Amino acid sequence: MKIKNLFKRWRIILFLVVLLLSLAAINPQLSVDGVAIRSVEKDSIAYNASIISTAQDAAPTDQELILEIDNKEIKNLEDYVNVINSIKIDDVVRIKTNKADYTFLKTQEDLGLTVKEPATSNLRKGLELVGGTRVLLKPVEKITDNERNDIISVMENRLNVYGLSDIKIKGADDLTGNKFILVEIAGATKEEVESLVAGQGKFEARIKDEIVFIGGEKDITFVCRNDGTCSGVRNCGNVENGYNCVFEFEIALSPKAAAKHAEVTRNLDIIDLYLSETLDLYLDNELVDSLQISSGLKGQEVNRILISGPGVGTTQEEAIQNALKQMNKLQTVLITGSLPTKLEIVKIDSISPVLGKAFVKNAFSTALLVILSVGLVIFIRYRKLKITIPMMITVLSEIIIILGFAALFKQSLDLAAIAGIIAAVGTGVDDQIVIVDEILSKPIGDEEEWKKRIKKAFFIIIAAYATTVAAMMPLFKAGAGLLTGFAIVTIVGVSIGVLITRPAFAVIIKTLLE
Amino acid sequence: MQTEKLEKFYNKNYKKLLVIPFIILALSLLVLFYNYKSTGFFIDRDVSLQGGITANINTNQNIDIDELKSFLENKFPKSDIVIRKISEFTTGKAPGIIIEASNIKDSDIRPALSDKLNIELTEKNYSIEEISSGLGESFFKDFIIAILFAFLFMAIVVFIAFRTLIPSLAIILSPIFDLTITLAIISLLDFKLSTAGLAAFLLIIGYSIDTDILLTTRVLKRREESLFNRMFSSMKTGLTMTATTIVSVGVGFIATNSSVLKQIFAIILIALLIDIMSTYFVNMALLKIYVKRKYNEN
Repeated sequence: MKIKNLFKRWRIILFLVVLLLSLAAINPQLSVDGVAIRSVEKDSIAYNASIISTAQDAAPTDQELILEIDNKEIKNLEDYVNVINSIKIDDVVRIKTNKADYTFLKTQEDLGLTVKEPATSNLRKGLELVGGTRVLLKPVEKITDNERNDIISVMENRLNVYGLSDIKIKGADDLTGNKFILVEIAGATKEEVESLVAGQGKFEARIKDEIVFIGGEKDITFVCRNDGTCSGVRNCGNVENGYNCVFEFEIALSPKAAAKHAEVTRNLDIIDLYLSETLDLYLDNELVDSLQISSGLKGQEVNRILISGPGVGTTQEEAIQNALKQMNKLQTVLITGSLPTKLEIVKIDSISPVLGKAFVKNAFSTALLVILSVGLVIFIRYRKLKITIPMMITVLSEIIIILGFAALFKQSLDLAAIAGIIAAVGTGVDDQIVIVDEILSKPIGDEEEWKKRIKKAFFIIIAAYATTVAAMMPLFKAGAGLLTGFAIVTIVGVSIGVLITRPAFAVIIKTLLE
Repeated sequence: MQTEKLEKFYNKNYKKLLVIPFIILALSLLVLFYNYKSTGFFIDRDVSLQGGITANINTNQNIDIDELKSFLENKFPKSDIVIRKISEFTTGKAPGIIIEASNIKDSDIRPALSDKLNIELTEKNYSIEEISSGLGESFFKDFIIAILFAFLFMAIVVFIAFRTLIPSLAIILSPIFDLTITLAIISLLDFKLSTAGLAAFLLIIGYSIDTDILLTTRVLKRREESLFNRMFSSMKTGLTMTATTIVSVGVGFIATNSSVLKQIFAIILIALLIDIMSTYFVNMALLKIYVKRKYNEN
């Protein structure tokens, strides 16, 4: 058979089509200018200027890129930080992206906009490779799947309100029937995640032991955020060993909660200007603040209340920052309500972006070295470039197709997935050796003989394939699904090999050796 | 000829060769049993399987690892502490250290480290994995179950593929040798098993029997050649397969900077070396005995 005829064989055509589709799915780009929008905090300046967060399931290269701010070109993160920090309060900000133009007034320091380096392909890097925090949570009590879904939706809401949007939350089980919740947030610190997802966020406002209202939309219809007229850090002062600041923000109560307030305060005494009891704010059963109730509110249906709380620090700046953090957390909890059950953090991983970058760089050089050394062994054994080169091409195509699959099905690549790719490629090479040796074992007589040999080679390949898949199956569930990526990539990798690349390789090698 | 000499030697000695792996298996079981008796576990587990922290500090500062270790050991006497330098294969630079400590919380060790090293540890230069001891235990149990299931599934596939009892059993025997002996070797090398390491064991179950399937197929299904030729040709193919994999995981082991991948590669490497013995000393000899009895071949 001539080389030209190769391209008429359906196995080869299938192989080439899949390879091209994979490249299209990965959509690699050499360089991308600008910075990508990571998230936009709800009700922030950026949000009100109708800039939107990138959708979670959108292809990474389908990103909104900030190209210019105030007519200054933004090429990278450094440019962005420089330009954005040079804008003064009450100045007009003009942001030009690849999708739209936005113009708005910078009314306060925080625009509520976070950015990241643009994606250069559709491959989703796992947490270990980009940096971020992963938390595995276990409910303290036994819960049903439905309850777990409720927890997940409150959490998603909470993290969105807080302004973290690059998040993944999902349920995970293990083989012994434990239920977990896995939260992954790129670009967030451990402390932020810890306080937001693990705290039940049970907010109660009590007078004596009577609950007046709780967090969540049933009792609280409005929470003032990102608006200086009704929320902010007000009083800072020197205290022992540092500074103390007070944050305040206004909330609106539902008619039912307001009626409750009237009922509870009706029988209280008036001492000077205030009532005899305070309104105590509890978060997860810890007292946040006690508010004095002015005497005029006795027995009244109050529908707007000023919530306050402290923030301390060794410097005034730190105290302000802590007060802001506390305020944001409390606001988030008041909006989203509490989780149905307490959660325990059983595992928390926080990977710095620096380490992530080092992993990516190293993974590439490791893969390259591994492929080269395999090529060398093959060449030493067969001493023919005619065999070595097609094998290496097959190996590379297998990697590309696995990556294409990962890009298409939004499977993120973490270290375990990289190990899976190496494992799949390893068996791939093994199978090609089986094919080559089967063909080389005796001079090929006729087409019948060739078919018989290939059939025999493929019996070995399929049996070996089936055992690998069988052995990987339990990993889908074991260990709370933390190694699912490894199992999926390995199984997909060997499947692609058996179904697509190795049949094509068999045709190519036969043509070349004839 | 070389091959003829080998054939003579093999035909004379294959039963003796069969004894060696069984002795090693028995010794391995002894090692594992000894571990179990003295520590309560047949293998030392790292923090990912018993609870604790793994901290990764990126710094150019030159850190005296031994001094840091004794400082931490004094401060946290209940904790088992391991400290390593990270080395970059391509540049040879050491951009930081990894600290593994059991039975400890990040909130306890971070301030201590920050004070001692005089570095402010932020999310930029500090990576942390923290795992509760309860979860570590349950992961370990979970993976043991996973390995048993993987083994069972694999055995079913082998029986379906070959549909003969003795050759199938001979194939299934191979991963038992590989797993047990590898486990014993890594415990002798003072390895601490991690979750990634357990995943590697699952992979071995799939990996190790490739060569056994090849051998059995050639021996049972290609009966037009002499028995030894069939065995010898499949050994040539099988050893090439194993060699490429050993070289690739060996290079991977040296080149990677991730301790997760390092352990996976190391375990596969050791298991594949053992697999050469279990495939060509155990499985091949058993097959030869089977074929001799059944088909009267020599």
